[in-house]
Amino acid sequence: MSNNKGTLEIRNLSKSFIVDNSPLQILNNINITFKSGSFVSIVGSSGCGKTTLLRIMLGLENHYDGEALMDGKQIVGPGTNRGIVFQDHRLLPWLTVGENIAFGLDKLKKKEKQLLVDEHLQLVGLNGFESAYPSQLSGGMAQRVAIARALANKPEILLLDEPLGALDALTRMYMQKELERLWQLEKITMIMVTHDVEEAIYLSDKVVIMSSRPGIIKKIIDVSSSRPRDRASSEFMQIKAEILEEFHLGTEHPFAYAI
Amino acid sequence: MKRRDSYKKAKAILGTIALPIVLITLWQLVTLGGFASTRFLPSPYKVLQTFVTLFSKPAYVHHIAVSLQRVMAGFLIGSVTGIAFGLLMGLSKTVEKIFAPFFHAVRQVPMIGWIPLIIMLFGMNELPRVLIISVAAFYPITLNTFSGVRNVPNEFFELASVNGYKGLKLIRKIIIPAALPSINTGITTGLAMSWSILMVAEIFIQTAFGVGTQIQRGRDRFDIALVIAGIITVGVLGYSMSLLVQKIVKAVERGRAVSTD
Repeated sequence: MSNNKGTLEIRNLSKSFIVDNSPLQILNNINITFKSGSFVSIVGSSGCGKTTLLRIMLGLENHYDGEALMDGKQIVGPGTNRGIVFQDHRLLPWLTVGENIAFGLDKLKKKEKQLLVDEHLQLVGLNGFESAYPSQLSGGMAQRVAIARALANKPEILLLDEPLGALDALTRMYMQKELERLWQLEKITMIMVTHDVEEAIYLSDKVVIMSSRPGIIKKIIDVSSSRPRDRASSEFMQIKAEILEEFHLGTEHPFAYAI
Repeated sequence: MKRRDSYKKAKAILGTIALPIVLITLWQLVTLGGFASTRFLPSPYKVLQTFVTLFSKPAYVHHIAVSLQRVMAGFLIGSVTGIAFGLLMGLSKTVEKIFAPFFHAVRQVPMIGWIPLIIMLFGMNELPRVLIISVAAFYPITLNTFSGVRNVPNEFFELASVNGYKGLKLIRKIIIPAALPSINTGITTGLAMSWSILMVAEIFIQTAFGVGTQIQRGRDRFDIALVIAGIITVGVLGYSMSLLVQKIVKAVERGRAVSTD
């Protein structure tokens, strides 16, 4: 995946929904390029259109103005070059873990399928759980299966829609580490929508801040500190303060932490 | 551990048979105490005797076999057509628009209301008996299949769409398995309906064979023991069959989960 595949470009994109017979603008003139192999987070308060933007990139929303280009080609629907992890794990309860991972692989031969399933079980650290059912898994494990299912398709871009939003705080921090590890291992583009500012800073090369009504990109912040990142470092704190400032949630004396 | 398991099992069985034992004991006490005329309420012992006589002749087993066959045939026809129709209505809004109002209107007519018409059209023979049983099973199976299909979460459709599932594959791999629990509810209810309509079919569309005819014969002879024996037969058969179907249904659900090639 090193030949610059997995670049996603959004150009002059606007989108409105019809609510009570009148148009409600959700996204207003969005311009952004997601570079191949980067990890980008989109943060914003509820209703800023970040999930809509993700659904456009996924190909589930097709009515909008402007362009959404995947490797230079207009996105017209879902495709296996883009994987998705939803907030709910969305595993099919009647399939085993292994069958869920193989969900998008049915064009392959049985042997190839099994190979990919084994590889991805290993990747997310769930060896031995192949024949378990989703109801037997914890939230974190289920979300790992969902990630394995998305990665098994060998996408160029992995879209993550608040993937850790339903997990408890500790599992969540652990899973952030896992996501970072998977991203470094797979070397693919990851685009994550999240509410969690710390999560965004911990994982991303760039944090895109959106504001609502109508959704616009307010600011893009580069995070260049080395990985793995220390949540307690002054640099981390500073970036966090900078982002929170955009939501008018900044502290009066942001550098108090640094003293 | 083993000992505790078998203890638990014994306790469960005891729990199941406790109520019938209490009822039969009360029944025996009432008849022994002479609180009711044995002409109207024969003792449990008398009913047991009736059972013994009934089962000592091959005729009663034949009656049971005929009834079972009737229910099975009607139930099977009702299930296959009900699942097919429910799926079609669930999958296509057009089919629903065309057929649903008619279906719901027809459904309001109690089964017994159809019997004169069915007798006039088909005569007193096996076809109308099986037919009304299948219609009785058809209603709940259609309804539950329909609602099962309609209630497949939108999230599953999104997931399917992202992975390129369309058409028949979507139906086979997502819609049917997701609707299966609801379809199974329909099948269980449909089976129960089949059994209750069996009696109507056998008593109103006269026939020589079937447990229902034995109950009717008991009434004609004022042999309440025979009537009660018939009722118990139907209850036990219906209950066993529903247990069996539930077992099959569970196996299918699990089998589906395991074998998706």
